[in-house]
Amino acid sequence: MNRFTGKTSGLEEWLQHVRQNAEIMDNVTHWRTIAPREARTAPLPDGLHHAWKEALRSRGISELYTHQAAAYRAAREGNHVVAVTPTASGKTLCYNLPVMQSLLENEEGRALYLFPTKALAQDQVAELQALADLMDVGLKTHTYDGDTPPTVRSAIRNAGHIVVTNPDMLHSAILPHHTKWVKLFENIKYIVIDEVHAYRGVFGSHVANVIRRLKRICRFYGSTPQFICASATIDNPKEHAERLIGEKVTLVDNNGAPMGEKHFVFYNPPIVNKQLGIRRSSVLETRKLAGLLLKQGIQTIVFARSRVRVELLLTYLQELIRDKLNNKSIRGYRGGYLPKLRREIERGLRSGEIRGVVSTNALELGIDIGQLQACVLNGYPGTIASTWQQSGRAGRRQEGSVTFMVASSNPLDQYMIQNPDFFFNRPPERALIHPDNLLVLIDHVKCAAYELPFDAGEQFGSESLEDMMEFLVEEKVLHKAGSRWFWMAQSFPAHNISLRTAAQENFVIIDNTNGSRVLGEVDRFSAPTLIHEEAIYIHEGVQYQVEKLDYSEKKAYVREVSVDYYTDANLAVELKVLYVDKERVSGDLIRQYGELAINAKPTIFKKIKLRTHENIGSGPIHLPEEELHTSGYWFSFSEEAAARKSKNEMQYALLGIANVLVHIAPLYLMCDPFDIRVVPQVKAVHTQKPTIYFYDRYPGGIGLSERLFEVHDDLIRQAKSLIRSCTCLSGCPACVGPIEEVGLLGKKQALELLNEAEGLG
Amino acid sequence: MSGLRNRMNRLRGETASNDALIAEAEDHSFVDEESDRLSPVWETFGVKLYSNVEGSFLLRKTVYPVSFRHGHHAIMELRKAASGLSAFHPSFQASAEKVLFLDLETTGLGIGAGNIPFMIGLGYVLDEQFVIEQTLIRHPAEERAMLAYLAEKLQHYNYLATYNGKTFDWPLVQNRFIMNGLGRKIWEPHHLDFLHPARSIWRNTLASCKLSRVEEERLGIHREDDVPGSMAPQLYFQYLADGNPSTLEGVYRHNETDMLSLACLAIRFGHLLNGDIHQYIRLPDEPEEMVRTGLWLEKMGRTELSELLFDSAMRAETAKPSTLLMLAARDKKAGNWMRAVLLWQKAVIHSFSNVGADALEASIELAMYYEHKLKDYESALSHANFAFEHAFNHFKLARLDSKKRAELESLRNRIARLKRKQDKLLL
Repeated sequence: MNRFTGKTSGLEEWLQHVRQNAEIMDNVTHWRTIAPREARTAPLPDGLHHAWKEALRSRGISELYTHQAAAYRAAREGNHVVAVTPTASGKTLCYNLPVMQSLLENEEGRALYLFPTKALAQDQVAELQALADLMDVGLKTHTYDGDTPPTVRSAIRNAGHIVVTNPDMLHSAILPHHTKWVKLFENIKYIVIDEVHAYRGVFGSHVANVIRRLKRICRFYGSTPQFICASATIDNPKEHAERLIGEKVTLVDNNGAPMGEKHFVFYNPPIVNKQLGIRRSSVLETRKLAGLLLKQGIQTIVFARSRVRVELLLTYLQELIRDKLNNKSIRGYRGGYLPKLRREIERGLRSGEIRGVVSTNALELGIDIGQLQACVLNGYPGTIASTWQQSGRAGRRQEGSVTFMVASSNPLDQYMIQNPDFFFNRPPERALIHPDNLLVLIDHVKCAAYELPFDAGEQFGSESLEDMMEFLVEEKVLHKAGSRWFWMAQSFPAHNISLRTAAQENFVIIDNTNGSRVLGEVDRFSAPTLIHEEAIYIHEGVQYQVEKLDYSEKKAYVREVSVDYYTDANLAVELKVLYVDKERVSGDLIRQYGELAINAKPTIFKKIKLRTHENIGSGPIHLPEEELHTSGYWFSFSEEAAARKSKNEMQYALLGIANVLVHIAPLYLMCDPFDIRVVPQVKAVHTQKPTIYFYDRYPGGIGLSERLFEVHDDLIRQAKSLIRSCTCLSGCPACVGPIEEVGLLGKKQALELLNEAEGLG
Repeated sequence: MSGLRNRMNRLRGETASNDALIAEAEDHSFVDEESDRLSPVWETFGVKLYSNVEGSFLLRKTVYPVSFRHGHHAIMELRKAASGLSAFHPSFQASAEKVLFLDLETTGLGIGAGNIPFMIGLGYVLDEQFVIEQTLIRHPAEERAMLAYLAEKLQHYNYLATYNGKTFDWPLVQNRFIMNGLGRKIWEPHHLDFLHPARSIWRNTLASCKLSRVEEERLGIHREDDVPGSMAPQLYFQYLADGNPSTLEGVYRHNETDMLSLACLAIRFGHLLNGDIHQYIRLPDEPEEMVRTGLWLEKMGRTELSELLFDSAMRAETAKPSTLLMLAARDKKAGNWMRAVLLWQKAVIHSFSNVGADALEASIELAMYYEHKLKDYESALSHANFAFEHAFNHFKLARLDSKKRAELESLRNRIARLKRKQDKLLL
């Protein structure tokens, strides 16, 4: 190390210093070194078109990685393929190889590429067109999205060999106007779907139906295209791809790309209040680690979970290095930045001009930013799959790289940071979709009927076609003539159906104290209890009062105040079991899976005095009731267990367990924590026993609670181990919840009760 | 079945059932059980069953004798006017026998794959008669037979006369050919889409360029008890539900009138292009319409016919400054400086008491003319100063945006430059 500048000669040397730095190492709960991996290669396949070979050679590609070769072979044999590859392993060649080859063999052929976002599509077109230009064979690649000027649309429809678009555009613009795309649909050979892991949950369920429609249109024009999918590492790539495209696929997962040595460091901020289990802010600790890296001149990416945190960390880091680097060398990156700015940042990262970037998971997807040296995760990204994706942004082929994961005080983070084996040994989450969710399915049956009349005997999803048709005839949108059903309504169904549901929209909080500025966001489901009118909303330690909640515009207007109380809203949740589809009984424990109806309405809020916690007033909340029919899973404790505890104790114990479960459920699901809800009831209407309910927060359900029903025992075990290993005395936000919520014995009560919850197989 | 409905209602959070509506929909007392026997109600308005190899559909044929007048025009003026329509596609010679008029009634909006034409109105000249045929499908399965009939018909014509057919009717027909597997390029029409000239000519003079507005204001056609076109889909759905032919009577009538109006538009534009403006059509009342008509004729390659219109507009006392400017811009481009200057001067004088944007523009044009063409810097300066003064007063009232600021700035520059040029001359 240079004694005067404190600068080390490289990452390796710096890591040596870190290992000797007690101030840092005291907080490191785990340091895993992953050995470097040599490249495994295969020769360029025989019969590859000479122009294509030349183009690859000029790019310095004279042999393939094993997975690229395998994907090519599988595709050439006529199989649908899903290739699973980590970040930066030459994934695009897995599909570009067979597609280009086929287009060179037959220039009448066509291919359709789908990417989840416009940015990715544009990235890809640039790469493809550069390759095509190298070959000088007149292959045309175009994006077709909302930004495509009307003047060139018709040229793209007729002459584009590869059309690159997103599922939303396919759904609302291409499929309903398929007659304008005759050339494409008659000659389509390949459909490439990249980032298939991004198509999960409700969005994925919609996309699976868009693909059903796409296949139906292809059939009409007499073509049967092959699908080539690419996915990040998830637990069930084959199953997921098969559900998404409704075909058998060949799995390619023999990754042959090389990787340098990789250090994965788990970092838990120190405890500052043992009684309350409060740790130092993960943002400040992230700032410290990223700052150290940046000062060393190590190119670093920082991932944060919200837009607000990205901006916060960006400001901190820019301040920190102000005198060493110029401000432009550390940048933010998130949704909401304009495309031009994003492109500029991506270029700067590739060229090395930009030394640091703070990003949301927007950079997790395959946008080309080159490979960086270090990655700092502010908080556990939510899933194992995302964590590997984000960490994969650091790691060059020849040099080593490091990833720091800085845990927040959220129970899931705490669980991960204390159970590294869980993270390293378990397969990543499963991507779940439920294309046959009735609401989603019916939406797309309408669109499909608009596109082509349905014939008796056709199949679309698992529901009986006749039933769906008859239903839509009664709804007066279809008309039956002979054995066919025709769309017969003035509306254009795709316009009213969005693939990305409104439930993902957040409420924006606007501070009117001085002018107006956006303070933050609250998700839709929390809005009724957190930002109802007169609520005290606390943001970075400052109190704000909500003056107006514009429910339809999704905006809350607040003003800074200084009061000695906080507010707590009561949400009246009524939960009815409609059907029980599955049931398992083991010993005293009954668990069931089925359909639920949930009615939630905020009723009143209480003003609670700080410190003394006296109730000093209350007021009504006037917001609409929300009703949700969905699928759920629940388990109940025996009457004996109930008898052993007072009603109050039982209440605390159930609440404590619920608090833990809601946070660790995502361990088994690839979902947003807000997609699943947990509700404890001391004496449930349905079972008459103490019961904990889980349900999917989407009408009809998307398969989340069904999966939890299957892994119940695991789930309970993880919950127990989390509570046991938490260092707090009697409950804290990182396990069962703060003592204000679960009482002084909440932790003990919850553990006792959990011992009864494990089924016996 | 009701299982699925119940589930949907639950998921949507609905409890009310639509049983009443469903019961109503199931009353099919009028439905023709066998497709080859028609309800006698159809006969009352002249509808017959038509069959070909692809199946059957309904056809109504109405013949108009040579003497028939629709509004201002006699239908048989078509014969004479048709030659004028050659201007739409100058390398071909148009004749009335080669024009097919077409107007669709469809189940929805736009040209997506789910919008079905349930009625096709066709019109053509046959010997000394004008014939309107209207096809109707009793249900969507009859579409293929109807389209096959249309495909055969198209082969006898070169021109397709429509109102917005270039972007709506024809692309939709093409969609339907593809959807029904009848081929992709059945026929390549020469479009006579009258929406385009209607917009060029009446953009500002009529409240809208909807066909119903144009025919009432310019073709002397007054519809009575017309069913608006926007109601047609709803009525067709009702017919599908109740099977009662009378439900559609109004739609037939509406479509028939549309076809006649289309023919009258062809007559009007044909006469115009033939230069028969006094003989068959009145000179437009409004100077703006005169100028726009002239501009359109010029665009269609009939420059020689526009002068008359331009001249009348020039002499009209009622011409708005904006109209004068429009014509002046044309003259400037054509090099007719004499009249352009006159028009700009008129534009300034006409708005003397109330100098607006038009007068400003005219003064600037005049300043430019005097500066560059006549090198008369003194006159140029006086026009520029006039413009600047009024621009300044005018803009003072409104907030200055970047465009207005640039305008003022360029005026300032012009004045400065003119002063310099003037000084130079004086030296």
